[in-house]
Amino acid sequence: MARMLGDVLIALAPTVVMAIVVFGLAAFRNLAISVAVMCLAEFVYVLIRNRIPYDGKKHTFKEQWKAGVSKYTINNFLAPCLSGVIFALIMPASTNPGYVIYVALIVGALVGIVIGKLVFGGTGSNIFNPAALGMVFTKLCFGSKFDYESNYYESNYFITNIATGGTPLTNLGSYTYPGVSNYVGQFAGINDYSILDLFLGRVPGMIGEVFKITILVGMIYLLFRHAIDFRVLVSYLGCYAFLMALAGIIVCNKIPTVSFGQFMGFAMFSGGVLFGAVFMFTDPVTMPIDSPSRVMYGLLGGALTVIIRIFGALPEGVAFSILLCNMMAPVLDYPAWSGREYTKKKVAVMASIVLIPAIILVLALLFAPEVKA
Amino acid sequence: MICKSTTIKDSKGLLGRLPTLKADVPEFVFIATDNARCPASEVYVKEGDHVKIGQVIGLRKGPFFEQPIHATVSGTMVGYEKHYHRSGKLVNFIKLQNDFKEEWDPSCSPRSDEEIAKLDRKGFAEILKANSSVGLGGSSFPTYVKFQTEAKIGTILVNAIECEPYITADHRIMLEEMEKIIGGIRYLQQAFDCKNAYICVKAKYTDLRQVYGAFLKRYKDEGIKLKAVGNFYPQGWEIAMIRSATGIKIPSGHLPSEFGIVDFNVSTVVGIYDSVKYNRPVTDRLISITGDGIRYPSNFKVRVGTPIRSLLERCGGYKHPEKDKILILGGPMMGASLPSDDCIVTKTVTSVIVLDAEEHKEEPCIRCGSCLLSCPAGLEPKQIMDAVKAMDKKRVKELKPMRCVECGLCTYVCTSHIHVTDYIRRAKTIAKLP
Ligand code: SF4
Ligand code: SF4
Repeated sequence: MARMLGDVLIALAPTVVMAIVVFGLAAFRNLAISVAVMCLAEFVYVLIRNRIPYDGKKHTFKEQWKAGVSKYTINNFLAPCLSGVIFALIMPASTNPGYVIYVALIVGALVGIVIGKLVFGGTGSNIFNPAALGMVFTKLCFGSKFDYESNYYESNYFITNIATGGTPLTNLGSYTYPGVSNYVGQFAGINDYSILDLFLGRVPGMIGEVFKITILVGMIYLLFRHAIDFRVLVSYLGCYAFLMALAGIIVCNKIPTVSFGQFMGFAMFSGGVLFGAVFMFTDPVTMPIDSPSRVMYGLLGGALTVIIRIFGALPEGVAFSILLCNMMAPVLDYPAWSGREYTKKKVAVMASIVLIPAIILVLALLFAPEVKA
Repeated sequence: MICKSTTIKDSKGLLGRLPTLKADVPEFVFIATDNARCPASEVYVKEGDHVKIGQVIGLRKGPFFEQPIHATVSGTMVGYEKHYHRSGKLVNFIKLQNDFKEEWDPSCSPRSDEEIAKLDRKGFAEILKANSSVGLGGSSFPTYVKFQTEAKIGTILVNAIECEPYITADHRIMLEEMEKIIGGIRYLQQAFDCKNAYICVKAKYTDLRQVYGAFLKRYKDEGIKLKAVGNFYPQGWEIAMIRSATGIKIPSGHLPSEFGIVDFNVSTVVGIYDSVKYNRPVTDRLISITGDGIRYPSNFKVRVGTPIRSLLERCGGYKHPEKDKILILGGPMMGASLPSDDCIVTKTVTSVIVLDAEEHKEEPCIRCGSCLLSCPAGLEPKQIMDAVKAMDKKRVKELKPMRCVECGLCTYVCTSHIHVTDYIRRAKTIAKLP
């Protein structure tokens, strides 16, 4: 277990380094705060959990402390550390006004680890991915204060020819295109971004999510070490790409200025899809345990991400779809229908997980009412 | 590591190359009165009686069969003592004092070849029953039961795979008892009226493959072939071996004989040869004494009934006497660990493994799924473990823990060092409840 956690941390290292290099002290501060908060919470939890049981005598705080500390293992450090790093990497570098970032990080990290993990009984028993929960919570509370801009100008890593106040995804909402529905029209804006810039992370965004190269390096390392289950990774990305390609075909036909390649590149390399797929969806604790269920889990995640991205009020769907899938994991694991074999029924379920969203997607994109200019 | 794991460290080193040493027959030997399969017994001799090698001195009674108990030395019966049995249980042993005359009981007289040529399947079964021949690979399943099938047999498989780490006893038998193995296989061919016989070995044992490649040339037309099968674990498991050697997949709950296959461990084949040819029960057996905790790992030919302590001494004792030891009889994956070294070699002991005790803290399960992916029986060990913890009898039964072959892989692969197999064993007990 320690080895597996260590592997994921190692795989995250290039991304962390990249984030610190590009975003400077701000990134370092964010990482330090969230890791410290999560580790501290876990430590307190270990102390509480391992109190000396009531035996009629009064124990001094020192004895209680000793009893707790003796149960503290390397895993109680590595696990929150990992959650903390992931959480920091899916947060923006700063907020406007600046002090909000401290509140956001501390509250988010606490909510993530306490409600996402510790109340369920610590590592191994949690239902939600702590980092995703923390991120969603902060986003709902402080989302409007997120500031992608100031660091964007400070660092000369970025190209400066786009005037922007948000991430590529948040900006889409402001685009429309005459004669088509909102769902399609938003994609008129994607030509403003070059795929190469998206790939290199030279766009505003969350401090870790934007660097695709280092994420891919981490992914290869994890696959090589068998530290993640490739089934979830492949089914998630596969389903996501398939549904996005369907959407892409329709969008490209309706908006002639958008090319299919541009659309797909944008879909794959914007936002946190890759980061979520590699580091968050593959968290073994919060996914089902049978291989067929894992495939379903990945497919479901991919479908939800696409739906949230195109139809949702929120631009970014990865963290939300992770939480939704986390909730589905026990259902997929239910003994009456789980099992190790790929039966016909299960294949049918997998197919419907992909096809039903696909049908909704196609119908909505084709026939949704047009926007009146 | 989330992956299907089928390879384990085999730790055999060069032990398979060491010739077998003959262990001295000790002054006192101990014969178990009951064993794992036979809970009750009856003893025919009393204190002071004189016994000879091969003499029937008692009867073990199992639920479906009875097994004669044979003396393995000539001498006097001096009483009973309690020692540990292979299964890790404290069991009553008959204590025999050796007079070192090595006299055989008159009933153990060789059969002539003509007599043997007349035997049919039933005849073989009777001989094996009288000599209480059992599966010597560790199953201790009575051999004659396999001869009672009426089914037409198309393939005889001899299991010399020995997929457990550390052990090399079968490897040595393969090299040292070649003639007997061939002889035993001939009897099997006669009994099952079937020409097709395969000796299955791991593909990576090139020495065995070379030796047998040359040796089997002498028996060209007899249909005996060497079959190299995979190196994975648990290749030695009956079902896995049959699948690799013949391509037939035996569903759980069926017997190989329904598919025209019988299989025997190689040491059982040697035992069958001795019983049929010389009418002798198993009195000696080849065992490996090995493991990281022993000074000079060795292969021994020992008299059944020898206390293990004396063998450990012949191996130079423990390497690090100050460290705690774990003693395992049988393979480290499937065998039982013993509470003490006060244990006796029975005829189904294949090895004694001495390991330095290592503290492995159990960590929380992180649901990595490796145990599910690796289980050769297609079970879901993690789910069974959860059901056991929750004492959910219904769910335990649904998960079919009885199919588990106790190969130990789920414990071996567990990322959190959980003794998953122990939970499965507990699940078996729960599943047996009404
Ligand atoms: S011990 Fe049983 S449950 Fe565990 S892997 Fe082997 S067969 Fe499966
Ligand atoms: S019991 Fe061990 S191998 Fe099985 S899922 Fe849990 S951590 Fe993984």
